[in-house]
Amino acid sequence: MAERTAKERREIATERPEPLVKRLGIRNLTKRFGDLVALNDFNLEVEGGEFISLLGPSGCGKTTALNCLSGLLEPDDGDIELDGESILNVPPERRQFGMVFQNYALFPHLSVARNVSFGLEMQRMSKEEMRDRVEEVLSLVQLEEHRDKHPAQLSGGQQQRVALARAVATRPRIILMDEPLSNLDAKLRLEMRAEFRRLHQTLGLTTVYVTHDQEEALSLSDRVVLMRGGAIQQIGSPEEAYTKPASAYAANFLGYRNLVPVQVTAVEEARARIKTGTDVELSGTLVDTLSPGDEAVAAIRPEDVGVFPQGREEPNVVSATVELVEFLGRDTELSMPNDLGSDIVARTTAGEARPGSRVSILLPPERLLIFAKED
Amino acid sequence: MAATVKDPERDQRPRKPKAKSRWGMDGSLLVLLGPALLLVALLFVWPFLYGIGVSLTPAPGREGIFSSYTTFFGDARERASIWNTLRLAVPATLINLLLAVPLAYRMRNPLKGQRLITVLFVVPMTLGVVLIARGMLTFLGPGGWFNKTLMTLGVIGEPLQLLNNYTGVLISLIIAEFPVMFLLLLGYASGIDPNLERAGRMLGAGAWQRFTRIMLPLMMPGIAIAAALGFMVTFAVFPSAVLVGEPAGSTRVIALAAWQAAYERFDYSMGSAIAIVMAAIELLVVAVILFARSRLYTGPASGGKG
Repeated sequence: MAERTAKERREIATERPEPLVKRLGIRNLTKRFGDLVALNDFNLEVEGGEFISLLGPSGCGKTTALNCLSGLLEPDDGDIELDGESILNVPPERRQFGMVFQNYALFPHLSVARNVSFGLEMQRMSKEEMRDRVEEVLSLVQLEEHRDKHPAQLSGGQQQRVALARAVATRPRIILMDEPLSNLDAKLRLEMRAEFRRLHQTLGLTTVYVTHDQEEALSLSDRVVLMRGGAIQQIGSPEEAYTKPASAYAANFLGYRNLVPVQVTAVEEARARIKTGTDVELSGTLVDTLSPGDEAVAAIRPEDVGVFPQGREEPNVVSATVELVEFLGRDTELSMPNDLGSDIVARTTAGEARPGSRVSILLPPERLLIFAKED
Repeated sequence: MAATVKDPERDQRPRKPKAKSRWGMDGSLLVLLGPALLLVALLFVWPFLYGIGVSLTPAPGREGIFSSYTTFFGDARERASIWNTLRLAVPATLINLLLAVPLAYRMRNPLKGQRLITVLFVVPMTLGVVLIARGMLTFLGPGGWFNKTLMTLGVIGEPLQLLNNYTGVLISLIIAEFPVMFLLLLGYASGIDPNLERAGRMLGAGAWQRFTRIMLPLMMPGIAIAAALGFMVTFAVFPSAVLVGEPAGSTRVIALAAWQAAYERFDYSMGSAIAIVMAAIELLVVAVILFARSRLYTGPASGGKG
C-alpha cells in the first residue's frame, strides 16, 4: 500500500528538523542595575533544538537573562556565543532571534496576517514566498480563518497564538519566551502548553523559556534551570529537578511544600537520623553532606506523605490532627498540625478525613530529603 | 392582611416605562446634560445664529440679504485675507508637526529631566501671544541679539528682516502653537506600549522602520487631532498679525479684516459675514482632517493584555 495512514503522516510531520544553531553559550553573564546585581556570573550551554526553561520567583534574574540574550539589554560583563561566535555586538534586529512577550505585543493596527508577515517584510521576502509562509505558520497555530482580523478582535489565547506565529515565521535561530502563559486562564494555559510543545517538536526550535511556574517548566522543558538571586541554583532534566532538588530552596520551589527544621543526630551512608525541635526522631535521605549536630531542613512533597487511620506504630510515623481539607477532584489536600512543630500538607486519594480527625502520617525515609540549612 | 397591604414602592413607580430615545438616553441623562447644553447654547449657538442673522441684514447702501458676502468676495483686498491667513496657518501647523512629532517620539519613554524639558516647552503657552511678540521685538529686531550674533559671526552681512512681515507672524505662531501640539503628541506617544517597538526590533526592524511602521501609524490619530487644533488656533490669528506682522499688507489676516469691518468701519453686517466665512473654512478643514482620521486605525495602542 502506497497510501500512508494518517498516523504515519503525523509521525513524519512531527519528526524534528535540524536545528538552525548547534550551540548557544552564555559565559559569565553579569548585569547590575545600580547596586542590585540582577544577574551574577551566569553560565549556560544550550544545545541546538533544546527547550530550556529559566525558572524562579520574580527578581531571580530570569527575565534579565532573557533580555540580555535578546540584545534588548546590554550585559555589564560576560559573553554570549552562537556556534562559537560572540553575538554581543550584534543588535537585536540583526540577531535573528524570535521573541514572545508576556503581553504578546501584537501590532494593534495590523491584521493577523500582517503581524505574522512583519518580520518577513523586514527580510524583504518576495510576495509569493511571504504569502506561503504566512499560510503555513497560521495553519500551524490553527488561525487561518482569523487572518484578516485585528488583534483586538481575538481572544487572549488566539492573541498568544498570533504572537507565537509571528515569532516563528522568520525561522529564528533561537526563540525566547517571556512568561507567555501568565496572562491566560488555567484551561487555556494547559492548551497552550501542549501547543508550545507540539510546535517545538515540529519546528525543532532552540527555545529559552522564562517562567515562575514549576509545573510549566517541568512539563515543557528538556532541561530546567532554577535560578535564585541572579545565579543558577540547579540545572537538570525535569525528572532530576523533580526527584533530586539540589537545595532546600530548590526543593521548596519545585513542590516540596513541607519543610521542617531539624538537627542531624546520626549519619549512616546516605541515611541520617534527625530530630525535630519538638524532639521527634525521624530518619531521612541525605542530599547534602552533613555530620551529627548540624542544623538541617527535612523536605517532603505532599503526594509522598502517607495518611492512615490513627494507631499505626512504625518508624517515621507521627500522629496529627486534620485541620484543613481541600478537595481537588481526584485528590484531597490535608493540612495537619502535628508533633513535628510545623504543619504537614498531604495529598491523598483517601477521602475519609474530616477536619478534626486524628490520623497517623507516614514520612517515607527514602522520600524525606535532608538538606543543609540555608541562611 | 398581607394581601391587601399596598406595596408602597409600587405607587411610586412611574406609570409608563422610561422612554429611551434612539441614542439610548433617558430623561435623567438629559437633565444632567442640561447645564452644559445651556452653556453651549448661550455661549456658542446663540452668538453664532445671531451673527448669521446680522450678516444677512444688509448694511445701509447695500441691497439683498447676501450683499455682505458678495461684497466680501467681490473685493480683491478682502478676498486676499483668506489666502493671507491660510498662508500662515497651514505652514505654521505643518512646521509644528514636523517639530513636535519627532520630539514627542524621542521623549515617549521617561527620560532624566523629563519634567524640566516639558516645563520649558510649555512655558510659551502660559505667556500668551502678546508677550511672545514683545520678546520677539527685542530679540529678532534689526538691532536684536539674534541679528547681532549672526553678524558678529559673519554669517550675514546685514540684519535679516524678521519682524513686521510674514516671517515675524509665522515665527510667533510657531512658538505659540508648539506647546499644545507637543503635549498632545507626547500623551499619544507615551501611551503606546513600549513592547511593540521591542517586538518590531526582534523581528528585524531598524530604527526608521520601527518609527514608520509601528509608532507613526499608532500616533496618526493623535497627529490628526493636533493638526486640527493647531490649525484652528492659528487660523484665528489676530494679535501677532498686528504686533509683529504687516497688518496693512501681507499679514492682513481674516480676523483682522473682520475686526476692521466691524470696529473701524462699523459695518457689523460685513464683520459678521467675514466671521461666518472664517468659521466655515475652519469647519471645512477640521471636517476633512477628522474624516481622514476616521479612515485610520484608531483602536487601542497596546498589543494585547497589559
